[in-house]
Order: sequence, then C-alpha cells, then structure tokens
Amino acid sequence: MKFLCTDCDTAMKFKDVTRPEQGSVTALFECPDCFTEIAMFLNPWETQMLKSLDLKLGGNNEAAQPMQMVRSQLETAKSDAMPNEVSPETSASETAEGGKCPFTSVISDAFQEAPEPTEPTGPVWTPEALERLERIPSFVRPMAKMGIESFAKENGHDEITGTVMDAARGNFPTQF
Amino acid sequence: MKTYKELPNDAGSNIIGQVTAQANRLQKRLASIKHTVAIMSGKGGVGKSSLTANLATALTRKGNAVGVVDADINGPTLAKMMGVRKATLVYSQVGVKPAITPLGTKLISMDLLLAEDDAPVLWNAHTQKDAFTWRSTMEVGALREFIADTEWGQLDYLLLDLPPGTDRLPNVAELIPNLGGVVVVTIPSEVSQLIVKKSVTMARDILKVPIIGVVENMAFYVCQHCGEEEPLFSTEGALDSTLQQAILGGIPFDPRLARANDNGTPYLDEYPDAPASKALMQVAEKIQAFFEGEDLHAPPVGAVS
Repeated sequence: MKFLCTDCDTAMKFKDVTRPEQGSVTALFECPDCFTEIAMFLNPWETQMLKSLDLKLGGNNEAAQPMQMVRSQLETAKSDAMPNEVSPETSASETAEGGKCPFTSVISDAFQEAPEPTEPTGPVWTPEALERLERIPSFVRPMAKMGIESFAKENGHDEITGTVMDAARGNFPTQF
Repeated sequence: MKTYKELPNDAGSNIIGQVTAQANRLQKRLASIKHTVAIMSGKGGVGKSSLTANLATALTRKGNAVGVVDADINGPTLAKMMGVRKATLVYSQVGVKPAITPLGTKLISMDLLLAEDDAPVLWNAHTQKDAFTWRSTMEVGALREFIADTEWGQLDYLLLDLPPGTDRLPNVAELIPNLGGVVVVTIPSEVSQLIVKKSVTMARDILKVPIIGVVENMAFYVCQHCGEEEPLFSTEGALDSTLQQAILGGIPFDPRLARANDNGTPYLDEYPDAPASKALMQVAEKIQAFFEGEDLHAPPVGAVS
C-alpha cells in the first residue's frame, strides 16, 4: 500500500496505528510536506488478513519469536502449550513470580483488541442466556461470548436473551 | 501526479522487508536439512499419514536423522500414529523443540497444541463469519512457522504429510522452493487415480517438482493363514499406466498396521517380517536411492521399448 498527497504530489508517511476495535484497525498517514493526515480503516477481514500474514502496519523492528503467529492466534490451544525452556539462567525472581507466561512477550500488541472500558457499558446477560452460554464447549466459549456481545451491541440490544442468541447464531461456527 | 511505481516505498510499513525476513528465517532453518519430501495424494483416505509415519520410522531405522511435519493443520493425526500425543513442545528463543519418538524421529503437529480431543483449529478473530477470506492464509502461515521455527537440528530427511487436495502442494512449493521431491500415494481404485493423476500433473508439469515415485497403498491383501495374495479392490482398478511408470512399490493391506497406527506403536518394529513391513522398507530404500542419484524409473538394462 502506498499513499500520495495529491496536493503536494508527495508520498505520505505512516504515522500511527490503533489497536483493533470491533476487529477494525485505523492507520494514520501524514504528508511530510503539508502535514495533511489521512486515516485508513481496515475492516475486520482485512485486519485478519494482516494477522494471518503475521505482518505489522508501520513496520516491525522486533526480532521474530518462534511460532509467534500460531502461539498468539490459535484460539483453541491448550493453556500449557509450549512451556518455556527452563534454563539455569532463569532468574530466581522469575521463579518466585510463579513463572512468566512465555507467550506474553511475543503476542503482537498491535493486534490485541483495545481494552474494554472499565464502566459496565455492555449488554446484560439473562440467566437463561447464561445457562445456554455454559453449554458451549469451553474452548470456544470466550470467543462466542465476545461475539454475541458484539452482535447485541451492534444491533441495539441492552439485554442478551435466548432470542438474541438465536439471532447471533449465524455468526458462529458452533451451535448454542 | 506520481504513479504507484514512482513512490519510493510503502509509506513505512516495509511489508516486503517483513515478508523477506520471514522467508530468510525459513531458508536458514532449511539449510540444515538435506532432503525435503512431500507425501501427497490429492485424494483423501488413501493412507498418506500412515505411510508418512512408517516411512519416517523406516528411514530413521536406516540411520537417518528424520523430521516430520504434519502439514494437515485441520486434521492432524501423526502425533497419535507416532505415539507422541502426550509430548510437550518446549519453547526457547531459538525455536520450538519438537516431539521425539523413542526411535528419535522428530515431529511437529497442530495436534500437540490443541486443548482437547474434540477441539478444532479455531483462529482468534473478531468474527468467524466469512472466515474463508483469511483462514487458508492463516494455515499456510502456521505451516511456515512449523517448518521454520522447529528446532530440527541437522536432518537427513524432512517429510511433510500433506492434507488432501491438489492445491496443497503449490503452498508447500512456495515455502520450500528447493523441495527435494514428492511421493504420491494412491490406492487401486479408479476414483483415487482420477484425482491422483491431477496431483502428478500439478507436481510434474506445473510446479516442476521432482516426483520420486508413486506408492500404491492397500495394493493387495495377504492372507495371514495361507499367505495367498488377493486384490482388495476390483482388478479393474489396477494401477493406471501413467502411475505404473513411476511406481515405487505396493504396500499390502494389513489390519495390524491400522491397529499400530491407533496404538501409536511402530508397526515396522512389531512385525518386521510382515509383507507390508518389507514393502515399506523397500520404498524407503528407493527414496534414499533417488537422493543418491539413482534413476528409479529407468527401463531395465536390455529391455526392449
């Protein structure tokens, strides 16, 4: 991708990129001559394509970590997949902390969803809906919960009921 | 107004640089591997994974350092067949240590990462709807990382067990430009051979990848009581002449081989004198001979064409 400031006939430069919100990433570009900025929005599928290719907008100055894409993107991985090699150099402080997750440092910050606001602004789950949620296999439940909540927000539902779950069902590969 | 080609770079993301770095990482790992072999068919259910597991054992028994990539990202079975399903992949800064069988064969497989037996491969995404737009790219990325980021050490052979589909080999050939060769698996049925011939065309004529040869799996059945050989499929399904020219061998059907796969035990060690074991060892020898420069498919000396 290349961007041209048509007023200056100058190639624009990458300036910043946001974390995904609802799967969408925003990248800012600036003209180095007139400082005009433009924003490029990637839809969730374009964002996902970048993740699939393990590429970063704005460049990547960090050394690649082994299997960083698989380790950060496999939703159904077991929690203890690929423990860190225990070496004599492992510091006592790390051990005292109960072991630092080896994945944490390699997951690309750029592709982590922006943190949810601390105030409870999301839809409320009814007991019936929560019961149905519990029936979803554990390894896909967090993803399904997030997806149903997104669906509810996008469609103006303040409360997640069985009816809302039925309506959201078409967005998921699993039945609930 | 300037055109695309007149702009000096991609605004700072250096996508080409990032892709080149990935390719370099892969090439660096491949540099320690002498021969890469894709086991493919195009057709499902012909026994590619079983053949891969047993060829890996056969080549290892012959003194080779062997690694296996379970390239079937969505249907990984090799960890079970090779008896290492409970192995833990260990992460270090230089790579991921693979599972290792008691004989010393190394394996990387998606199965070793999944949470539960019934857990499918699901990728983190805002929505799984319309995931067809990116899922295949994610799978190729996973395969690239499996090859590039596994601590293989020095290998004589790296076997890649491909999932069904004639489109799979092009992905591997993109990742491994110097792919050593392809072993094509079929069974004596016309349905299988219809698809397998497409795979041969893809490998030989389009991708220009050397075809080591064709293995006819379940070629016949040997009666365990009288030793008589009987066809398992109809004789009309006998190997097509195109495939026959490249034949490496026929592996007889043996229910004990299926059981060994289920149990994750090495069939070749349990039944070394079984006809299927001998046939598997012969195929392994021919693969070795191929990489030693022997023309496996030259007509015998004195043959009249």
